[in-house]
Amino acid sequence: MDLLPGAEEEEIARAAADYLAGELPVTRCHRPDAELLSAEKRAEIAGLGWFGLSLPEAQGGVGLSAVDDIMLFIEAGRFLAPLGLLTSALAARVAAEAGDEDLRSVTLSGGAQVALGLAAPQDEGLLRLFDWKGASLVLLLGADRASLHGFDAAAVTPVDCLDKTISMGTIGADALTLRAEGGGLAALTGTLNAAAMLVGMAEAVLAMIVDYAKIRETFGRPIGAYQAVRHPCADMAVRCEAARAQLYAAAVSLRDGKADAAAQIAAAKLLANQAAVRNADWNIQLHGGIAVTAEHDAHLYMKRANLLARLFGAERTLLHGLLDAKLAA
Amino acid sequence: MDLDFTPEDDALRAEMRAWLEANVPSEPRPAEVVAAGQYDRDWQRRLHDGGWAGINWPKDYGGRGLSAVQQMIWFEEAARANAPAMNSMLIALMHGGPTLIARGSEAQKAFHLPRILSGEAVWCQGFSEPGAGSDLAAIKTRGRVEGDELVVDGQKMWTSFGHWADYQELLVRTAPDSKRQQGLTWVICDMKLPGIDIKPVLSMSGEHHVNMVFYDNVRIPLANVVGGVGEGWSVAMSTLAFERGTAFLADQVELAHKIERTIALARKTRLENGRLAIEDDGIAQRLARLKADTMAIRAMTILGFSRIERANQPGPEGSMLKLFVTTTYKALSELAAEISGWGFFEYGDNRHSNRMTYDFMWSWVLTIAAGSSEIQREIIADRVLGLPRAR
Repeated sequence: MDLLPGAEEEEIARAAADYLAGELPVTRCHRPDAELLSAEKRAEIAGLGWFGLSLPEAQGGVGLSAVDDIMLFIEAGRFLAPLGLLTSALAARVAAEAGDEDLRSVTLSGGAQVALGLAAPQDEGLLRLFDWKGASLVLLLGADRASLHGFDAAAVTPVDCLDKTISMGTIGADALTLRAEGGGLAALTGTLNAAAMLVGMAEAVLAMIVDYAKIRETFGRPIGAYQAVRHPCADMAVRCEAARAQLYAAAVSLRDGKADAAAQIAAAKLLANQAAVRNADWNIQLHGGIAVTAEHDAHLYMKRANLLARLFGAERTLLHGLLDAKLAA
Repeated sequence: MDLDFTPEDDALRAEMRAWLEANVPSEPRPAEVVAAGQYDRDWQRRLHDGGWAGINWPKDYGGRGLSAVQQMIWFEEAARANAPAMNSMLIALMHGGPTLIARGSEAQKAFHLPRILSGEAVWCQGFSEPGAGSDLAAIKTRGRVEGDELVVDGQKMWTSFGHWADYQELLVRTAPDSKRQQGLTWVICDMKLPGIDIKPVLSMSGEHHVNMVFYDNVRIPLANVVGGVGEGWSVAMSTLAFERGTAFLADQVELAHKIERTIALARKTRLENGRLAIEDDGIAQRLARLKADTMAIRAMTILGFSRIERANQPGPEGSMLKLFVTTTYKALSELAAEISGWGFFEYGDNRHSNRMTYDFMWSWVLTIAAGSSEIQREIIADRVLGLPRAR
């Protein structure tokens, strides 16, 4: 029994962080209307195997596992990588499960941007879309069924999103055309990897405030010497530790086909939501005024954390499922 | 990265389960203190005779020598079987004994270790003082060497089970003007020695298990000093390495059962509005969140073992686990109190009258003892995050 990542798993994280730091640095999120995941970048990333990392080789994937996936997506979260990184990987899985080789090959090679669609109760008859600009496919995730759809971008009503790195919009549910259908694994994988991204974000903002607390001085001392700053930072570290540990346990349970994998993943997402949202909050608070400015990175993490906490498994649904869940020893 | 038990682990679990089923006493621990102390000794004796005494002690010293993972399996099975806790045997088994194993002389080991394992000897701790709790290095109780004796004067505080313990691990200042961690000595004190006066401290739960201990010219043989005069701080710290992240293992495992019991309580308890507690969205959500937290505690525990296995010593991550475990325990106790309505107030000044209400009060012991939450945050800020020190 060893819950720490092995050398090869660590290597996935290291390589991912290297690529993201060079090609998709967080600074890009400040550029207005910057194309966040261009066709060239998508192709480059496809070449790294990220869209098929945990897909079996027989289905055109790299043949690694859910554990390797989270090592990648923790780093993706840390760099506020586009949602398309995750939706493309899930789309490839749905296409593969459906046995649609053309669609599988298009998604695996980065040939399509994939939007995430969501039926929201307040949007009667409409689907809410995320990252739809430039997309040619919409991914819908249900507990037992995932599906890929074609759509007409002209049918989308654009809506400004709080998170400026995400294009949001609504579309009539009848404006989608079904392209492929798969099972519940895509939704589980999506929840797990979204949790991973949130853990990466929680760690990123902790690192941000710790660095600042060492150099920012008030009353003649670095603020990191005051317990009013030290103790909230310690609590941020605890949230990261708990969320990362549960994320590991959840990834292993999915990889190994454990009966309680869904419950472990639900718990992982809940802890990751808390870690990312609360840490983003404290990062702003402890930075003080500078962190409410547009030029600072702090608000980028706050906005993305609040968005991602509601996507890939709503809190209420996850909580409800957890109460009755029987846990494996 | 894996969560696999070895075939050996699985076989051990089966062996533990069978033994516990046949040996866990059906009668509960008595409320009365002397009878309770005897109950603890009897259970330790039974563990000893069954080969389960000192699961974390090396085999060379009569222990079972289990790995950290196997200790976790033991506590999981013990919780499942509703086995008695260590209670008054805890200091001897988890602290005094391990310290002797690490730093004691051959004579000290030969005399004390078998008595601890068999349940013959109960130990208590003598570290904290009225002016030295969180800041342990501030202790003032004096020890002066006179011939072949150490003569002790002063006062200790929070001595759990001091009133029926046979021995005490006592930390005293032997260099009169020494500062902080220097000049301290760790000595085995026989609690029957003349000059020791024990005064009970009644806790808010109505129970008496902590005491003040006063020392007036108490003459302890120098042969009882462990690790040498002046080496007390390093001796006290050596136990930390022995614990290997398992100090709170029983509590961590027990939490998983406590959340399921609380969910079961919510399924049968009605609120003021006549609905079952579990049908209340707020309560159901808090229960589910706490269940997720207890799942994370198990994962953190295993992650901690994994780190220790690689680094061969416990790291500062233990402080994050302690903080998370005790915070979760407290939140769960508060929620159980809320769910149970007026039943929460039906309490007769001992744990047997209402375990849930007792646990509610016990939660402050967990967040204060063995390094308060504030001290844990300081350790995390210093050693995990590397923030500048204020002290």
